[in-house]
Amino acid sequence: MTTEPSTWVDAYGDRLYRYALSRVRDEGSAEDLVQETLLAAFKSRDRFKGESSELTWMTGILRNKIFELYRKQAREAPLAPAGDDDGPETEFFDARHWSAAAAPRDWAGEPALKAESAEFSAALGKCLGALAPNVARAFILREMEGAAPRAAAEALGVAPGHFAVLMYRARLRLRRCLEKGLFAPEST
Amino acid sequence: MSLLPSCRDVARHLSDSLDGGRHLGMHVRLHLSVCEVCRRVLAQFELIRRGAARVPEEGPSLTPESKARLRRALEPG
Repeated sequence: MTTEPSTWVDAYGDRLYRYALSRVRDEGSAEDLVQETLLAAFKSRDRFKGESSELTWMTGILRNKIFELYRKQAREAPLAPAGDDDGPETEFFDARHWSAAAAPRDWAGEPALKAESAEFSAALGKCLGALAPNVARAFILREMEGAAPRAAAEALGVAPGHFAVLMYRARLRLRRCLEKGLFAPEST
Repeated sequence: MSLLPSCRDVARHLSDSLDGGRHLGMHVRLHLSVCEVCRRVLAQFELIRRGAARVPEEGPSLTPESKARLRRALEPG
């Protein structure tokens, strides 16, 4: 038995919206996902057994909707197979080693605490926005949604090897972007 | 050509290992034992994973207009 559906928007709307927005990075799509989630919850409310909280139940529905959206985007704009070119990594490495400009620096202060902060979420959002969409989607499915690599690759319509390349590129770029913006900004 | 992996190879191995793709072999472990920068990369990749998995508690909210639209969508009939 659920609470009165007319209370859901006020009770859960903002939290579902923030969740969706952090995963799809577009306000219109995030709002659509919240609406689809609430409607799906409304239709299946008789099956809600109260084994988890309503918010957890709705977040589960939302996560499925996010996967569906990614699958749809992958069908509409399939990715080209990943080449084994060295292009994207040359900005980080001089042949075998980190280039002087890109070498990872020590993250100052208490980085573990910083990674739990709202500041981190905001910086991550900004850094994800600077990635190529396919690279950002791979990272979101794997690291934010916790999807298994095979399931995430399947949702994106790519082979496991291609997915590994996308994750590698995402981690290299996000590491550098977060370092510059949050963890070890260069003094000006 | 060195038999030991380069920092570039190690960065890729570290990323793959976070996705369960391959375990870090002896050569990578040996490299990590002597390369502070690569140890830093591993720690930072892991830190990004922990931070990214967190659901934001603060941030933008739905506008009043959006909430009104959602309420209408949930009205019976």
